Amino acid sequence: MDKYLNRLIWLICLAAVFYALFHFISTLADLVKILIISSLIAYILDPLAVSLESRGMSRTSATLVIFLSLFLVISAVLVVVLPALTDQIAAIQEGMTPEATAALVSRLDSFLTKKLAFLGVGELNLPEKLQKTIVNAGDWVFSHFLDVVGLLTHLVLIPFIVFFLLKDGRAMKKQFIRYVPNRYFEFSLNLLSKMDSQLGNFLRGQFIDALIVGTLSTFALWLLDVKYFMLIGIFTGLANLIPFLGPVAGVMLAVTVSVVDTGSFVAAWYILAAFAGIKLLDDGLIQPIVVARSVHMHPLLVLLVVIIGGKFFGILGMLLSVPATGFMKVALKESVLIFRRYRMA
Amino acid sequence: MSNIWTNIFKPRQTEEDTILAVLMRIPIFEGLDSKELRQIENILHQREYAKQETIFFQGEPGLGMYIIIQGDVDIISEPEKHQLAELHEGDFFGELSLLDESPRTASAVAKDPSRLLCLFQSDLNDLITRNPGLGVKILVQLARTIGARLRKTNDHVTELKKVYQA
Repeated sequence: MDKYLNRLIWLICLAAVFYALFHFISTLADLVKILIISSLIAYILDPLAVSLESRGMSRTSATLVIFLSLFLVISAVLVVVLPALTDQIAAIQEGMTPEATAALVSRLDSFLTKKLAFLGVGELNLPEKLQKTIVNAGDWVFSHFLDVVGLLTHLVLIPFIVFFLLKDGRAMKKQFIRYVPNRYFEFSLNLLSKMDSQLGNFLRGQFIDALIVGTLSTFALWLLDVKYFMLIGIFTGLANLIPFLGPVAGVMLAVTVSVVDTGSFVAAWYILAAFAGIKLLDDGLIQPIVVARSVHMHPLLVLLVVIIGGKFFGILGMLLSVPATGFMKVALKESVLIFRRYRMA
Repeated sequence: MSNIWTNIFKPRQTEEDTILAVLMRIPIFEGLDSKELRQIENILHQREYAKQETIFFQGEPGLGMYIIIQGDVDIISEPEKHQLAELHEGDFFGELSLLDESPRTASAVAKDPSRLLCLFQSDLNDLITRNPGLGVKILVQLARTIGARLRKTNDHVTELKKVYQA
């Protein structure tokens, strides 16, 4: 009985600690978000810095070269892609005049009522429901994306933090180790080193995978002449960071845009086939090559962490929740493994 | 007055110089120039141990090599607490751990308050990736050091065999 009581007390304490931790994190949400994004970018860029160092460059020069190259690449991409993206966003805005939207929604309403009548679907009242959703979405967009000061702070702070994490990350790790007591010195060094290599592989793999899937999706949607192909392609690539849910979200968005635009399901079948092909390619070829060691997670856990990430950090939280959980899972697994080896000694 | 000027112009031996002087005497770093030694120094962890404090226990995974810059260290075989060796300033131990993570074959205990430098296996691997030329030099020297110890062990085994057969 005592054993169960002890376990119960342990569980309650653990839950209290987690609650306090989440409360603390949500209080410092913005800062934590900036730090997480910066660390992820630094992790992804680290092999480039190491590769430049192996060619005789100092770490500082390597970091400067990477930043300069990134600036040039991003500028070039913006010059090439930005006009197309702006056109697509402008097209959405133009197409969203009140009259056009009302006509589109009424068309969709009658289309769905007619097609889904066999399921017992009656009056959908889509225009009324949409009106409510637009009001809510407007508030959400305003609070999340139109915070110009916040956005500028991020644009300045993130590269700044990434620069120093990339340049001085090794010295920071050494400094941190200095404060670890002698008894746990080797254990901590081992743990940090194992986590470093595992997480580096995992994060870089996820990033490259998202990039390839995003590019393939954009290309496929462009071939199928889907409206806003670039925006949907980028969204699909980013959503791919979330297993199970991400690819479905990408397909749903593409199919919805296509159905609303053409008013028929014909193109939707092609889109489904293209996305299924990309998914097969991703699972069978890209992931095994690129994602060196994927962190397997139960679909229910994925759903749960995505909801928690969204609750605390919004859209970005949803996207980063899975890599962040992967990070914690790897850290926990390595800690237990190394701890066992030390206990066996 | 002259004392002040002597003090000002006297080259000061910094902590870094002391470490470099110790590193130069370690066979594994033999033949490295001061720039290369500084790169090694950058990846070393400096630790301080109290009298009778255990540095590592027998059976724990071996992760790095230790260099004594100050103090004395006892190498002890467990569980009988038999002293295998007493090491002093400038000596090094645990160099096999730079190659694999096999368990430590003995415990190391600081005999006096000691200051040690630790070269960790993954830091060395990282250095080898960043500077392969330097990495090759260290690995060659490490192979020579381990080879010399193996020869010494072989000689001991041969002597013991002779004693056993006689």
